[in-house]
Amino acid sequence: MASAVRPSVGAVTRLAAPLRQQPQLVVSKIQTAPLSTTATLLKRHKYLGARDNKDHNKKRGESALRRTGTRWRLSMSDEPLPKPVPKSELPAVETDPNHGLWEFFASRTTVAATPEEDAKHGRGWAVEELRHKSWDDLHKLWWVCVKERNRIATGNWERNKSKLGFGESEADRRDREVRITMRGIKHVLTERLYAWEDAVALAKNDPEIDLSGNGPAFTPTQYLEDEPVSAFEVAKTKTASPEATEAEAPAAAAAATPDPATITPAAKPQSEARV
Amino acid sequence: MQPTRALLGMRYRKLRLTTKDVNKGFYKGTGSGAMGRHTKYGGYVIEWDKVRTYVCPDLTNFKLTPFVTNNVRKTYGQYETKLGPKDPQTYLARWKSENGLD
Repeated sequence: MASAVRPSVGAVTRLAAPLRQQPQLVVSKIQTAPLSTTATLLKRHKYLGARDNKDHNKKRGESALRRTGTRWRLSMSDEPLPKPVPKSELPAVETDPNHGLWEFFASRTTVAATPEEDAKHGRGWAVEELRHKSWDDLHKLWWVCVKERNRIATGNWERNKSKLGFGESEADRRDREVRITMRGIKHVLTERLYAWEDAVALAKNDPEIDLSGNGPAFTPTQYLEDEPVSAFEVAKTKTASPEATEAEAPAAAAAATPDPATITPAAKPQSEARV
Repeated sequence: MQPTRALLGMRYRKLRLTTKDVNKGFYKGTGSGAMGRHTKYGGYVIEWDKVRTYVCPDLTNFKLTPFVTNNVRKTYGQYETKLGPKDPQTYLARWKSENGLD
């Protein structure tokens, strides 16, 4: 820029050459002056090695925030840019309505159960009630409890995340009852294991029981002595009249020590009413 | 030494127990067991017999819930022996009464 305004040194010498050849005969009487001297006077003094005031920033004025684009054309400048589809026009995401993860929610439409819904629960199972349940029932009930606790945890997480408000104490109380049930299941299973271990130790000294694995494990002595029958006859009576063998079982049960634990749960009053 | 502000006063007891709160040799862990072993080169080998598997039974048509209605009072077992449900004699007697098949 400076060179454009100021004539170069060479140009000055070229201008000066004809002046030297021609003697200055005509001297204009009218004093002439440039239109304005301000521009040249305001020009900064240029010294050797001075910094030029040329703008070296090729990207001056480009801004991603103001979306100015580049200062030069790009190869794809004429290409029409795709525009994002508004969310309302997007097709709905297809999900499996029977996906297992749905079980983490109390319902399909809400993320968390209301405190009123959470408060609707009974008490946890008592240990005595669980003692009459089979292994399969306890196993399934355990997983029902796990899923219930998952639902409660999902509700808690959503309540904290979305700041839904109250409901923590209701969820806690519900969770506590579920944990009481789970503790009862563990209690019963541990109890059964201990009883079984002790019974195995006891059976080793029982003359009626053979734990070697060869032949029947249990041979009731008192009935063999009362009525000795051959194996053929036993098989014959079993095939002929199943009532006869069924009649033996209650007799054997009556002969054993009548203990409340031996009574089948069907005989006991059913107290496992459900919510 | 200036202890951190959190350690001052009674608030210390409310902090989570870390390994630096107790003597050496204390292993806090996370309550989860190992699922493999470390190799001498720094790697880790997963042993699949250590990896936990969870067997969830089929719960269709299973009607029990974790809750029992409050209208039913808790029942308590009546046992003749002191050991109660843990009594091996009772266990054996019941096993025999059910013909000792299993």
